[in-house]
Amino acid sequence: MSAVPLSAYLVVGALLFAIGLYAIVAQRTAVMVLMGIEVVLNAVGLNMVAFWRFLRPDDYSAQIFVIAIVTIGAIEMAVGLALMMLIYRSQRTVKVDDFEELRG
Amino acid sequence: MGVAPALAWTIALSGGGAALAHAVERGLRRTMPDVDPGPAAPVQIGVERAPAQTDPWFYSAAPAIALFGVALALVVIPFGGQLVGADLEVGAFYYLVVLDFVSLAIALGGWGANTPDAVEACYRAVAQLVAYVVPLGLAVIGPLMMARTLSTVAIVEAQHRAGLWYVVAQPVGFALYIATGAMQGYRAPFTEPFASQIHGGVLAAYGGAQALVWRVALSALLFTIAAMGAVLFLGGYAGPIGGPIGMGLKTLGVLVLIVLAGRFFRARSTAETLALSWKVLVPVGLLNVGLVGSLILLGVGQSAFR
Amino acid sequence: MEIAPALQIVLFAVFAAISVLGALGMATTMSMFRSGVFLMASFFGVAALFLLLLADLLSLLQVMMYLGGMLVMILFMVLFSSDPGGSMMAGMMTMTRVEKAFSRGLSRPSPMATPHGAGGGMDMAAGHDMSMTTPARKWARHFGWAVAVVLSGALVLRPVARATERALPDPRSPERIGDLLMGKYMIAFEGAGLLILLGIFGAVLLARPSERPDPEDRGHLRAAVDAPPPPPEEG
Repeated sequence: MSAVPLSAYLVVGALLFAIGLYAIVAQRTAVMVLMGIEVVLNAVGLNMVAFWRFLRPDDYSAQIFVIAIVTIGAIEMAVGLALMMLIYRSQRTVKVDDFEELRG
Repeated sequence: MGVAPALAWTIALSGGGAALAHAVERGLRRTMPDVDPGPAAPVQIGVERAPAQTDPWFYSAAPAIALFGVALALVVIPFGGQLVGADLEVGAFYYLVVLDFVSLAIALGGWGANTPDAVEACYRAVAQLVAYVVPLGLAVIGPLMMARTLSTVAIVEAQHRAGLWYVVAQPVGFALYIATGAMQGYRAPFTEPFASQIHGGVLAAYGGAQALVWRVALSALLFTIAAMGAVLFLGGYAGPIGGPIGMGLKTLGVLVLIVLAGRFFRARSTAETLALSWKVLVPVGLLNVGLVGSLILLGVGQSAFR
Repeated sequence: MEIAPALQIVLFAVFAAISVLGALGMATTMSMFRSGVFLMASFFGVAALFLLLLADLLSLLQVMMYLGGMLVMILFMVLFSSDPGGSMMAGMMTMTRVEKAFSRGLSRPSPMATPHGAGGGMDMAAGHDMSMTTPARKWARHFGWAVAVVLSGALVLRPVARATERALPDPRSPERIGDLLMGKYMIAFEGAGLLILLGIFGAVLLARPSERPDPEDRGHLRAAVDAPPPPPEEG
């Protein structure tokens, strides 16, 4: 029996989500934005595992979902860094404020 | 084991293993005078070093993290049926994960020390982590597939019941493990992060007690890699040469093999290490997995499960 | 493994604090290297929470993926930013209390030693704004607070009533996950593999040396990479 209730884990997830959102919106460099995205994905994963443990511990599909989240997060980070490197080569900047070419 | 005996056992094993690895490397140094000693270089424990402008959090934490990672890995290495710190259900996977803390420690220490050599060592260590982790996983997967378990004790038991050391069934896997073990332990020919060209990298920035901790951590790292090789491929504490003494002898054998195998190759630079990993070791690893799968379907090593 | 309830609460509090403070440190510290390490610490905290939730394979997976991933991400940050060590920014910016707490030890009044990497970065034009955050930061902080308060408030005031705890999960999680991956979720498994392959192709293709000429100062770097390594020093 777990002494810590489900809501406690969900609150931690919510706090992580909020901090990740702040990082995505407020950080200036592309890499820091990517890190904020990773925090948000992590918060979602924590929520999934908490719900799995308390609501459906016999069905391991939730863990498969979290594995998929982690995998896709890693791929997205890799491609994002490659894109950032390409933009840096042509624009000589990594600050997201300067990525303005598509602005109408 | 309970928590307190497990803690004592792990500490004793770390110290003893580090001493053994250090003695072996010192002894074999005389046969290989022109090979870069890498992390086995003599460390000045008596000299106090204090680089200026360090990042204080990283600089002080790094040696402790390295030793912590190695000690955690030694918890799952069995020296007897009950002589293991904790027989985790996911022991082999846990071992792979926890040893990455050593690379983290080198990166933190290198950056924290803020000297050009140390920061260079930080970059090289991260690159070498990227180089070794995938082939090591592929090499370790072979015995895991044959034993059908992740627990280290169960792998030894499976080899015992099948009457087969996995090195006989998977020589390619064993060779791959030796190669990636040398990469993981920063021994020849993959000594770039600790090369004498950068004056030992991270080790040059530390003196006094912290240098001793680094030495213990790096020697115990080699011991851990050798011990895991003995567990995975040489039947661990079971088999004709059995018990803790047998396991110790097998570990010694793998240790000597890793150290001696490096003398036949010139030191590889970081870029060459990455290229070797990507172009040679990963394809060989994938081939090994295919081979092992075929062998399992043919029934090799599966008499443990009939 | 049975853990006493009091110990469970203590462990939960410790690891939850590590997770949240790690993420906070990532978002507020002046040093980009520390930022990456704080994020790593946050992931390790969440991995420990996974252990408390009895998902052992998942917690190990989390540690393995993010340790390597964050180290490589840190390396990229160091390559592409002008003050990765943060000592210049810590020295010259006015920081909030939180930022000061997470940036302690970065700036020293020594005039002689050079701070980490500063001066070697590419965009050091005079008058360049060195801040780590965009101008949207003022309302982003309030936005973050608002989200945190609303979500936590909703969870505390209206707890998840249906959270009746069933039996303990099956401890043989590797077997169960393996069965699912190879059986029910085979398509997802293969799809993830294909996605990884495409990601590898894409990343390598994007990062290839391009037809654009490299900046002038990269010539000597390229030559150093292509040259054979010098022989080790004697003695």
